[in-house]
Amino acid sequence: MTDILDILDIEQPSASEVTRDSIIHGDKNKKKYVTAKTVRRPEGMHREVFALLYNDNKELPPLLPTDTGKGYKQNKAKLGMRKARKWVWAPFTNPARKDNAVFHHWKRAADEAKEYPFAQFNKQVSIPSYSESEYNQYLKSEDWSQAETDHLMDLCQRFDLRFIVIHDRWDRAAFRDRSIEDLKERYYNICGILSKVKTNPWSNTVTLVNGEKRVYHYDADHERKRKEQLKRLFERTQEQIDEEQMLIAELKKIEARKRERERKTQDLQKLISRADSGSNTLNTGNTNDVSNTPTNAANMSRRHDRKLHKKKLSSQQRPVRALEAVTVEWSGIKFPEARGTGVWLRSQRMKLPPGVGQRKTKAIEQELRLMSIDIAPTPTEAICKHFNELRSDLALALDLKNALASCEFELQALRHQYEALNPGKTLTIPPSICNTSTDVESKPVGEIIDVVGSPSAVNNTI
Amino acid sequence: MSGPNGMLYGGDEIGALVFDPGHHSLRVGYAQEDTPKADIPAVIGVGPATHIPDAEQKVPDGNVTQSGTKTGNELRHYIDVTELHVPRPNMEVQTYMKDGQIENWDLFEKMLDYCYTKVIRSPSEHHPALFTEAVWTTRPAREKLAELLFEKYQAPAFFLVKNAVLAAFANGKSTALVVDAGASQTSAVPVVDGYALVSAAVRSPVGGDHLAAQAKNMLNSMHIQMLPVYSIQSKEVIRERERARYTLKTLPAGLTPSWQQYMLKRQYEDFCHCIAQVSETAYDERTAAVVPGVHYEFPGGYHQDFGPERFKLTECLFEQSLGAPHLVCAAASACDADARPALWGSVVACGGVAALGGWLERLAKELASRAPSSHRLKTHAAPSPAERRFAAWIGGSILASIGSFQQMWISSQEYDEGGKGQLERKCP
Repeated sequence: MTDILDILDIEQPSASEVTRDSIIHGDKNKKKYVTAKTVRRPEGMHREVFALLYNDNKELPPLLPTDTGKGYKQNKAKLGMRKARKWVWAPFTNPARKDNAVFHHWKRAADEAKEYPFAQFNKQVSIPSYSESEYNQYLKSEDWSQAETDHLMDLCQRFDLRFIVIHDRWDRAAFRDRSIEDLKERYYNICGILSKVKTNPWSNTVTLVNGEKRVYHYDADHERKRKEQLKRLFERTQEQIDEEQMLIAELKKIEARKRERERKTQDLQKLISRADSGSNTLNTGNTNDVSNTPTNAANMSRRHDRKLHKKKLSSQQRPVRALEAVTVEWSGIKFPEARGTGVWLRSQRMKLPPGVGQRKTKAIEQELRLMSIDIAPTPTEAICKHFNELRSDLALALDLKNALASCEFELQALRHQYEALNPGKTLTIPPSICNTSTDVESKPVGEIIDVVGSPSAVNNTI
Repeated sequence: MSGPNGMLYGGDEIGALVFDPGHHSLRVGYAQEDTPKADIPAVIGVGPATHIPDAEQKVPDGNVTQSGTKTGNELRHYIDVTELHVPRPNMEVQTYMKDGQIENWDLFEKMLDYCYTKVIRSPSEHHPALFTEAVWTTRPAREKLAELLFEKYQAPAFFLVKNAVLAAFANGKSTALVVDAGASQTSAVPVVDGYALVSAAVRSPVGGDHLAAQAKNMLNSMHIQMLPVYSIQSKEVIRERERARYTLKTLPAGLTPSWQQYMLKRQYEDFCHCIAQVSETAYDERTAAVVPGVHYEFPGGYHQDFGPERFKLTECLFEQSLGAPHLVCAAASACDADARPALWGSVVACGGVAALGGWLERLAKELASRAPSSHRLKTHAAPSPAERRFAAWIGGSILASIGSFQQMWISSQEYDEGGKGQLERKCP
């Protein structure tokens, strides 16, 4: 760094660091740089502009970006730039020790003697203590002798209330074997009693809340039960675990199936209501044809069935609505209304809205091809309108066809299930359901469109 | 001590020594170092001192008859490989260890003398000493050790820690289920919050010695002779599986069987070290045959490839009721139900046998099939074989150089006041 500063003729900041130079030559050999005479900044000139024109040495600003400044990067650690500080093998005492034993360790000669820093980590749990009279007065127990209680308190102190370790080191030769819960119960019991009769509370078991003493209450029975359950859980055999896994997997399967069924029902319901609203507005010249739509849905469930029948009736009785309502209530594909301002191509109106999926678009195109209709006809006003209506109907027809197929499948599945459950019996499906399904299936596309309301049907109403 | 407040890294080194006596070797070194200074075989050669005259015998005032009787009765102790592996007449090899504990205190004193004078080369009264011990060490043995250190060696401070606890510390755990696969036995000890659960510890006599014995049996059945390496003068280069051609050395008469056996055992250990490999699953002839063999040349010059035998040999370490996986399960099930999840979550493997290739993988696999599925099972071990062997020593090295540990030592003052009875309280 010093070399670069020299080359660039930049004055070095006088550092307190020890450099090789300062060690060898001392301080007298410092170079003095002649600073150019300062030029005053003209009035009104921006500081930045002035800085570009004139710098201290009247040099031009560098053509290439240079990266020698300290501002852009972090300074590397300067090793060996300071004089080494001395270490000494010094004695120390540890205030955490009670015996004032002297050990030695390395410390800096410059560091002043202070308390051994690690002594602050010497934390101990405070365990309640009791005198003999106190024991006899309050703590007597039929189950525990005083010697045993003393042993427990001693172990608690030694192992800082780690009851697992206390249980491990329990003197089984002198006292009978006790469970961890027994030990805990006795200990917390003693804590509770002593905190009531004694004034000094010990930090870990008694907390003062609003000046009121709260004693930790240990529920030994609950703990015993918990541990018993835990043990049972851990000691299951592989078969038991496998069985449980199997049952869980089964449960998941059943739930997935249930969800699937619910989803299908919802889909169908949506479709029916949509078809319903569509058929409501149609010219119902042909009653038989119209009735096809609800009977499709009749496969679904009784509730829906009833509702639909009602709707069917109402739709038959209701007079034909105005065409505007139809366009508003259109359910196949909702083509966006004409845009606000500006010039636009009419063919834009024929674009399918982005909500229509890829598969549906493909299916519609396929149907159009079957009917030998151009996929992109010349967009006159009338063609535009009819074309859109046709495609919308096609979409609805496709949906209904799919729904029908799935209903048919379910019907057959139910029939098989019924026959499997009642061997020997056969479920006769009412021909009204079956026939319609086969009828619809076999019907050419054009007729289906007629059912739901094709442009021609709409046109008739006008 | 370093850092601005003297507490950087939480370490404070006070020049303590760490001793880790084991059946195979004794590890000794300074705390805060990452490997022991010395790894000394745990056996001592005891023989008459006639071989090399002592310098003291040349003292001019020595009476001829007196010095004669002296050399006749005086025994010399040969410690560490450079002394021990020399063929000497009438030198018996003896060990001071038995069942994981120090038994022969006179011999152990000789070993400590050697450590202080030849390894540490510093007077014992300058260094606090931290010793490791097996979990089942009896109270008299512990007290005897404290007595020895304070009264004979004038140690400024002393501490005893269970080796399972230290192995857990070496792996950065305070709660762990430590599997120590040592030379004489394999043990599984649960450690909770830095305390070994003594009543839940289990062990089996299957260890490195057993493996070496199995290797001996295997070679016998294959009719391969393991000649003692010290008896070979020269050998010729021969083709694989060809009959060995060698000339024997003339050895001094009166070599003791104990020494010969010890030397042969070292060779079988070396053989195991080079050849033995643990298969990932239970031994299967066909899968073992696929693995390429390893070449081994015996001291006589005979050499051959060992293929499936490598895997077959180590199967004895995973026997149904004696192997490490069974011990781990037994130890875990002996613990309180509340401690079990934490123990299964950190199974720590250490010891010389654990350094065997594939041993840890096999243990992990067997445990995975035996452990209750409700627990998360994780098996830890140091990556390098040396760190696995020295796990307990490394843990001791870490512990003795921690600043907050420095209050735990039993100082010589405390010993003078309280006697050795306080050992049980101070070193749990």
